[in-house]
Amino acid sequence: MADRAPFGLLAEFRTAEDLEAAVHAALDNGHQRLDAFTPFPVEGVNEALGLTENRIGWFSLGGGILGIALMLAIQIGSNFNYPINVGGRPILAWPAFAVVDFELMVLFSVIVPVLAMLILDRLPKLHHPIFNAPRFALASDDRFFLLIKGDDPRFTEAGLFLDTRNPVSIERVE
Amino acid sequence: MSDIPVPSQHEVTREVADVPLRFPARRAWWIAFGIALALLSLFVVSVVHLLMNGPGIWGNNMPVNWGFPIFVYVWWLGLGHAGTLISALLLLLGQEWRNALNRFAEAMTLCAVICAGIYPIIHLGRPWFLYWMFPYPATMGVWPQFRSPLEWDIWAVMTYLIVSAIFWYIGLVPDLATMRDRARSLAKKRIYGLFALGWRGQAIHWLRWKKLYRLMAAIAVPLVVSVHSEVSLLFAAGQIPGWHSTIYPPYFVLGAAFSGFAIVSMIAIVVRRAFHLEALVTNRHLDLLGKVLLASGLMTAYGYVFEAFDALYSGDAHEIGTLMDRVGGVYLWSYWGAIILNFLPLQGLWFARVRNSPLLLFLISASVMIGMWMERYMLLVTSLYQDFLPSSFGRYTPTFWDWSTYIGTLGLFLTPFLLFLRFIPSISMFEEKEIADG
Repeated sequence: MADRAPFGLLAEFRTAEDLEAAVHAALDNGHQRLDAFTPFPVEGVNEALGLTENRIGWFSLGGGILGIALMLAIQIGSNFNYPINVGGRPILAWPAFAVVDFELMVLFSVIVPVLAMLILDRLPKLHHPIFNAPRFALASDDRFFLLIKGDDPRFTEAGLFLDTRNPVSIERVE
Repeated sequence: MSDIPVPSQHEVTREVADVPLRFPARRAWWIAFGIALALLSLFVVSVVHLLMNGPGIWGNNMPVNWGFPIFVYVWWLGLGHAGTLISALLLLLGQEWRNALNRFAEAMTLCAVICAGIYPIIHLGRPWFLYWMFPYPATMGVWPQFRSPLEWDIWAVMTYLIVSAIFWYIGLVPDLATMRDRARSLAKKRIYGLFALGWRGQAIHWLRWKKLYRLMAAIAVPLVVSVHSEVSLLFAAGQIPGWHSTIYPPYFVLGAAFSGFAIVSMIAIVVRRAFHLEALVTNRHLDLLGKVLLASGLMTAYGYVFEAFDALYSGDAHEIGTLMDRVGGVYLWSYWGAIILNFLPLQGLWFARVRNSPLLLFLISASVMIGMWMERYMLLVTSLYQDFLPSSFGRYTPTFWDWSTYIGTLGLFLTPFLLFLRFIPSISMFEEKEIADG
């Protein structure tokens, strides 16, 4: 197994700005397979990495519509299945139905995007190669990490490049 | 006020994460937990007694057949609302100071909603038939009545409980990862790690997380408003004088937020003192909480004024009769008690000195909690005990078991909340770090 490509090289930075600058520099240096790990969301890093995500809102919309449709179907179905005449009021009482429809819309428009996020993130996943790096625990404290993945076309030069960015540490992640 | 130094990112981790890992107030916690467990046992005993003997052990009977179970339910649910409002509304408004408060405010919400939700269930008489509230193809061929506010209730509370729990947990996952990485013992690493779901702070994960979190906040705000509006419709949709008013939904929502901000202030004061988190929950936070409490209190006061106006303007003899019963009837203590405790000490919050004093803010908040409890009592009992027919007028006296069940729910609230304080970071670390990063 000695020749197996490593998962990547992980560089540790003190500030979000350092990480952001390093991402830009890595892209200029021709590196393509990059990733970043931070203690909190850093917008600049997402932009530098060119990450976009627009699906969450759509999942929520779909969930909301599903919730309303499901509850309306239950309400209409049950009221026709066992019609109760309450003082001549209509069987299909839309204003009265609206409250529970709204609640189910809310419920599904939250549950569906949460599940979508977990599936898109491939979480829960308790084992990941990045956890092999001893200093990676600081990514949830106050350190910012840049990863150049092992399948990067210019991976052989990654170590030299990272040295020029003056990181706190560089680790090889197996 | 802003000259308080902002703690560095590492200090945030250390101060917050070390509370559960190297718990600073073990003795005080065990004493509090012991009291909570004693209260919880009282609740269990009361409920067992109820299940064996039925709701006849309580004081509610014709004509006041709602009594404690329903007004205490409204009170608990109202307390919960501030957690969601602080967390979601202030997030959307970009009020960064909420980051020091949102975690334990949301935990408070969850505990309060549990206490609220249990009340209508044990009030059912035969709680084991709770599932009749859900639409399922029953052999009897009947369905729940979706045209009734009583059926709306279970959906509103259930949705609120699930959405609050998800919102709280999704906001907690990154901090659980911090706990996993900081814990020393393997057992703690594993338990925190399991609940952290393998969170690793990857850029794309954060991007999705942030979108989802803001989206959930945007959904949670109308949800809160809808839930307490729905609760008010339990009352307002009926014909009872004193209930049948369009002011009810906003009146209930504002009163809920008011009492909720009071409990959040109390918890903030206790937590920061017990865990020495003065650097994170600063006097500025208390100042802002005081202002929010004052504002929501004045809006609640407007509800009181409008409620009286509504009755007088209607010219309806029964409406006016109920108003008179409130201000001068048998239960006038609950009306005047609510007005005095809710609004008199509150006026102190106009002064920065009072807002910045943890003791005074705590006392004013406690007064609001009791005042709002009296308000819910007043709204329910004074409307029911003398409604239309003099032949059906009656009195309402809570029994020992009313009180024991209610006091027991304090244990039902405190037990999970104390466990939260003991094992979960009570302040959102990564959101505080985001502020520290500027």
